[in-house]
Amino acid sequence: MNVHAPTMVRPHRWDVPFDSVMTEADVDVLMSTPVVASVRAEEFPGHIPLRGILLNDSRIVSFQPGDIVCREGDYGNSAFLVLSGAVRVVLSPSLPRELLGRQEVHKKGFFGSLTQLWTNSRIPEVRDTERYHNILAQSRGASGAETHIFLQDVPAVLDQHRTVTLSIGQIFGELAALGRVPRSATVFAETETRLLEIRWQGLRELHRYDPGWKRLIDENYRRNALHGVLRTNPLFAGLSAEDLQAVADQVKFKTYGSFDWHVSYKEMRETGTAGEEPIIAAEGVVPDGVYLVRAGFARVSVRFGSAQRTLAYLGAGDQFGLDEIYESWKSGKPARRQNSLTGLGYVDVLRVPSHVLEKYVFPHLPAPPPPALPVDRPIHDDAFAEWLVDERLINGTQVMLIDLDRCVRCDDCVKACASTHGGNPRFIRHGRIFDQWMVANACMHCRDPVCMIGCPTGAIHRHETAGVVVINDDTCIGCGTCANSCPYNNIRLVEIANPTGDPIVDGDGRGIVKATKCDLCVEQLGGPACARACPHDALSRVNASTLVEHAATTVPAGAAP
Amino acid sequence: MRAVNRSSWPVWVGAGAAFAALMVWHRSPLLSYTPNFTTGYMLMGLVVFLAIYSGRKRLSMLPLGKASVWLTLHLAGGVLALALFWVHIEAIWPLGASERALAALFYGVCISGAVGYGLQLWLPGRLAHAGQEIIYERIPAELATIRAQVEKEILEAAKESGSDTFGREYLQTLAWYFARPRFFWSHVFGGQRAEHWLQRHLNTIGRYLTEAERTHLARIAELGVEKRRADVQYAMQALLKRWTIFHVPLAAAMLTLAVWHLILVHVFAR
Repeated sequence: MNVHAPTMVRPHRWDVPFDSVMTEADVDVLMSTPVVASVRAEEFPGHIPLRGILLNDSRIVSFQPGDIVCREGDYGNSAFLVLSGAVRVVLSPSLPRELLGRQEVHKKGFFGSLTQLWTNSRIPEVRDTERYHNILAQSRGASGAETHIFLQDVPAVLDQHRTVTLSIGQIFGELAALGRVPRSATVFAETETRLLEIRWQGLRELHRYDPGWKRLIDENYRRNALHGVLRTNPLFAGLSAEDLQAVADQVKFKTYGSFDWHVSYKEMRETGTAGEEPIIAAEGVVPDGVYLVRAGFARVSVRFGSAQRTLAYLGAGDQFGLDEIYESWKSGKPARRQNSLTGLGYVDVLRVPSHVLEKYVFPHLPAPPPPALPVDRPIHDDAFAEWLVDERLINGTQVMLIDLDRCVRCDDCVKACASTHGGNPRFIRHGRIFDQWMVANACMHCRDPVCMIGCPTGAIHRHETAGVVVINDDTCIGCGTCANSCPYNNIRLVEIANPTGDPIVDGDGRGIVKATKCDLCVEQLGGPACARACPHDALSRVNASTLVEHAATTVPAGAAP
Repeated sequence: MRAVNRSSWPVWVGAGAAFAALMVWHRSPLLSYTPNFTTGYMLMGLVVFLAIYSGRKRLSMLPLGKASVWLTLHLAGGVLALALFWVHIEAIWPLGASERALAALFYGVCISGAVGYGLQLWLPGRLAHAGQEIIYERIPAELATIRAQVEKEILEAAKESGSDTFGREYLQTLAWYFARPRFFWSHVFGGQRAEHWLQRHLNTIGRYLTEAERTHLARIAELGVEKRRADVQYAMQALLKRWTIFHVPLAAAMLTLAVWHLILVHVFAR
């Protein structure tokens, strides 16, 4: 080991608190509020005390009337507890984009991009340790002053939009924070308001160790998810508010699989034995209702030979099982399910019981088109889709798909990636292969980014406007949780070095590591450099939901499997 | 072999139209001056444009359009440059030593480019279905791993049987095969020489081994197949990478000589 290696203190959780202005006095005040006072502090483990969570994973934020707290469509990693005042949640219609003051993604300019030509280091993974020290210093001593976007004409908003008020002791934002989904509504301050903002790592601990918070979060989660789904589903579009409420009252909410589904999936890949997928609705039985997928993925399959044949996969917003119930209701004859619905990993579903549909929905519903399930197709036509589902690649929104029939292995994609990331490529041109299609080891910016589960500092997060999953190098402590969680091995831990190439080590001489991955060139001009750099159009970034179509349209005639 | 990108036809039509317009102008009876200076400068401009393609690859951080469009322009521009070259020298092969050197380099660039593009159309599809995709830079490590496994099998066989027959045969024949990539051109052209070679030597030695040793021989046969797959990847990927070793330096030399040619022409044209 180089005895002169530069050293730094090994980073730890809470080195960079959510907000440095939080003090022990603030925590004392919080501990006296009813919602926090009821928490059983003794249930928390010694290394994650309740006070530590409040001090480091939360902050108190103040808003003036009209200030926007969070915006519909943003990816948020925190939830809010109302400490004083009140906020309004805009239910419908949504606020127009210009009212929300959306920020543009910060992109490098032309010359900023060009300078990378000579500023990129020839030494891998160089970091400026001085910058880390400065950030740590700033984060401990910064002022908490914040600016907020505000609504210009609150009375007009209240006139034209349906809203609800949330007051002291109520929580909001937990749906996006825990479900890794965009915010479902815009929330603004109605009066002078103080909120406790809890980043999701802290929220997760509260949910895990305190039964009261768990109940509160779960009830909120279920109620909000239910209303959100019903509001947006065309099946219930024609219902009056009373009927919709009647439907909502009788909807069943169920979760299948583990929230940390990637753990069992990785085990399955290592051992080669797949566990049984949880059956949500079984083929051949009398249908008990329509299933609406709220989050996660589910497989629609039919018995074929001695196995199940995948017909489709469903994601958030999709529904299952309407046809049989509708036909049964219309013909007056009993029907049985034609196919099964099983959970792929973690899936949240809502079941609207058959009798509720018959009473409130079917009388107003135009006859749905007959199902077009491809059961008459040769099975090899579905092989690619089966593979995508089995490999859980359906999770990706930006899958790096390489057509190996076109790829000349020139690595221009890798070089382009390196040139836009300080000389370090952020993916490996290697991966899972089906026929001539390779899904390379590049972050897929998943719909359900399980890599975010467990990050102790929130360094890996959704970019608030672009929606892609990015890592904040400044707050990454190199614990490897995200890399271990990624089911696709698309996150790499790298040892960092100073500009002269010496590895940076902690006081014990151990190397400091950081997590790295594809950021979809979020700050670069012109989008992902990898796809742009391919001279043969062999590489593309595609949404998994269009992947099968993509393969079908780009496979040369006669070359299909 | 992969088909040429069909969406690139507008570029090819454009190049054809440009050449047609050039020919109309070049053959025009109204042309009152010798067009060689003009065609020479056109050719120089086109060659410089073709050389910029290499620069585009180094500037991938800038939004300069898709590299596939640049490649199409490079290909169509290359074909147009060849036609323009013949128009410029009004022959296939020029007179004069320096002109011949320049023409030789120009043809060298054209031929290496055409061969390279042909390889790019021909080999990827074969690579995709050759099994066991390996990154080129990792192939030596892969071969070393296979070799270590083979030698482990040999040592175990020797330990179990107490005989050095297998070990000696390995050193005399099989070690050659496992030492480094072999049968390069056979793999490139899809030949079976490697399979036959391996099978012949394994069969030859098999009859002198004990039953226990044959178990190890079977494992070595499997490793031999893995090695052959890695060799196939190596041969085709190496070819896909190495053709530019000819194309790029030839292009640089040609461009340098073209500048010299331009200076000479201006000096002696007075």
